Amino acid sequence: MRRVVVTGVGVTLPRASSPQSLLTAVAHTAEPVNPETRIGKKGLRYKDRATQLGYCAADATLRDAGLLREKELTVADRTVGVVASSNLGNVDTVVEALDTIAAESTMGTSPMGLPNASSNVIATSIAIRFGLRGPNLMVCNGATSGLDAIHWATTMIAAGRAPRMLVVGVEPDNEPVRKLLGGKRAIDGAVGVLLEDADAAAERGAVVRATIGRYARTGAIDRTLAKLADGDTPALWHAPEGESTALPGVPRYDLAKTWGVTSGAHGVLQCAAAIGWFEGGGTGPVYALAGAAEATAGLVLRP
Amino acid sequence: MSWYITGSGAVASVGRGVDELFRSLCAGTTGLHPLRGFDPGPYRAKSAYEIDDRPAPGVDVPHRATDILVAAIREAAADAGIDDLTDIPILVGTGLRELRSLELWWRDGVPFSADDLHFGTALRAELGAEVTYTFSNACAASLYALAMGTDLMALDAADTVIVAGVDVLTESMHGLLERVHAVPPDRVRPFDRNRTGVLMGDGAAAIVVRREATGRVRGLLRGVSANCDAYHVTAPDPQGIATAMRAAHELAGVKPEDVDLVMLHGTGTLLNDEVEATAMGEVYGEHVNGPLMTAIKSMTGHTSGASGLMGLVVGLEALAAGIVPPTVGLTEPVDEAARFRFVRGAAEQADLAVAQLNAFGFGGINAVAIVEAVR
Repeated sequence: MRRVVVTGVGVTLPRASSPQSLLTAVAHTAEPVNPETRIGKKGLRYKDRATQLGYCAADATLRDAGLLREKELTVADRTVGVVASSNLGNVDTVVEALDTIAAESTMGTSPMGLPNASSNVIATSIAIRFGLRGPNLMVCNGATSGLDAIHWATTMIAAGRAPRMLVVGVEPDNEPVRKLLGGKRAIDGAVGVLLEDADAAAERGAVVRATIGRYARTGAIDRTLAKLADGDTPALWHAPEGESTALPGVPRYDLAKTWGVTSGAHGVLQCAAAIGWFEGGGTGPVYALAGAAEATAGLVLRP
Repeated sequence: MSWYITGSGAVASVGRGVDELFRSLCAGTTGLHPLRGFDPGPYRAKSAYEIDDRPAPGVDVPHRATDILVAAIREAAADAGIDDLTDIPILVGTGLRELRSLELWWRDGVPFSADDLHFGTALRAELGAEVTYTFSNACAASLYALAMGTDLMALDAADTVIVAGVDVLTESMHGLLERVHAVPPDRVRPFDRNRTGVLMGDGAAAIVVRREATGRVRGLLRGVSANCDAYHVTAPDPQGIATAMRAAHELAGVKPEDVDLVMLHGTGTLLNDEVEATAMGEVYGEHVNGPLMTAIKSMTGHTSGASGLMGLVVGLEALAAGIVPPTVGLTEPVDEAARFRFVRGAAEQADLAVAQLNAFGFGGINAVAIVEAVR
């Protein structure tokens, strides 16, 4: 089976813009990310908050991977696909359209709102903005969604559908989302990683930031951990959102406690944080776990 | 590499269960009906192809998408003789997830949480399934999910997968779709030069796919392609679609002249049908008048994320029975489809072996599958 590695990472959060800062920054109140200052105004009009944030992380990730110079891809457009993960992405568009239709009939809505009503608008808008013609997948799979997105990107690379997949996890903060989360705030940011076939990465001299290891998805955390185990013990683990006591004695990070409701971005954030830990000299496997009692996903990352 | 389709299930406005659905489609029955679950007041488009499962006319309830998804998966699993779904990956393609329930939560205050947006929580509770994925890939979703399913099997990560598709109407999508039509659509008439546009339909479909043949085999899955135009958020690109078709043919090891039946995406959308027809013409060339073609959205409406797999389930029945349902309402094909052998008026009998299924979605995402009859 083809080996899949990470060759790029991009972090777009209010108080973090690098993988290492995910582990060190303290996230108290900060100015929201302004996409205009990150990637310019062009093309942002009519795009929902999640898509704009996704653009920022995609731009940063592709540049970090050396796949984007100025505005040009450095590889063939069919060799790069996209997997985006978000659960709350277009909640705002849906309920706003509902309210507008009730108040003013359909003629009160904007025809430009139509694409945003489709939940895959994040993944396809990124493909259009950067001209990425590989497979394009939107994963909206609850708490495990981010790790699942990395799994499906890895699967598509291993199956030969494309040698490179850009994975972006994003969750926006807005009024309908806050209501849905019982008043809690989502991260209002996005994180990207560029997964690549190891041979393709070597061929273009890309720097390997991490290697994708085992993935498991079961109905319980202990069974997921059993499937991840490969003879060695994790040097570090990233916990799911919420309370968890899975790996006593192993150093842990609770990214959601620092950054807010991570939801569909959780797994991608964990992956970026693992890269930050490797950059800081961390060695040994990092376990990322996501999900709740009824569904748990786990992924092993190695330097 | 081929995979074995050993079970199927489907629910749509014109039939509950694969047998009833296929009989209805062959009889030319359409599910077109005045809006069943919304107040029609704010809308110019007053009809759709909804499943008649509300407690009373005009009274909407949450979780309808989940309910028909569960029904389709149960039918497919039973058809394949599978009782225990615990460890079998279930890949669900959807355009609109449980966004209709979100709408009812927002407006009417029905209980709803963020964990109800995807289907995994409900599939665990209702079917005991633990390995579930919700892919929201617009109208190409269920064939995209099928592509992912074949990848799992190709990589030895699964022996059996269940692939499903589901969608029910949301007010936001019905309304925003209607908004982009100058004249409100009155019914879905794919490829007809006098069509007025697209209307949505409720539907769910599911199949069981295995690496090894076990028990009765409904058909062979020869290959599924998946790509992206990277061109426009709503308008399709004939080049991207043609590329997806050629990729599917290559994966399946077939040529255009080998294909006996094409289940067209055919949404009746003003721009899309010409684009699909152009891409078909480009890929099939002189053989474009070879296969029989039909577009069942003329009877089911646009079932969005479910539609690709709905086409596959119906296509398999057509291969097995040697009968192809008609494209209802198609009287004057557009120029781009002038040479197509559409099934029109009534169902047509034919000896068929290989079928192509098309599914294209917003954002220019394309998926094309090739299936083969088992004799």
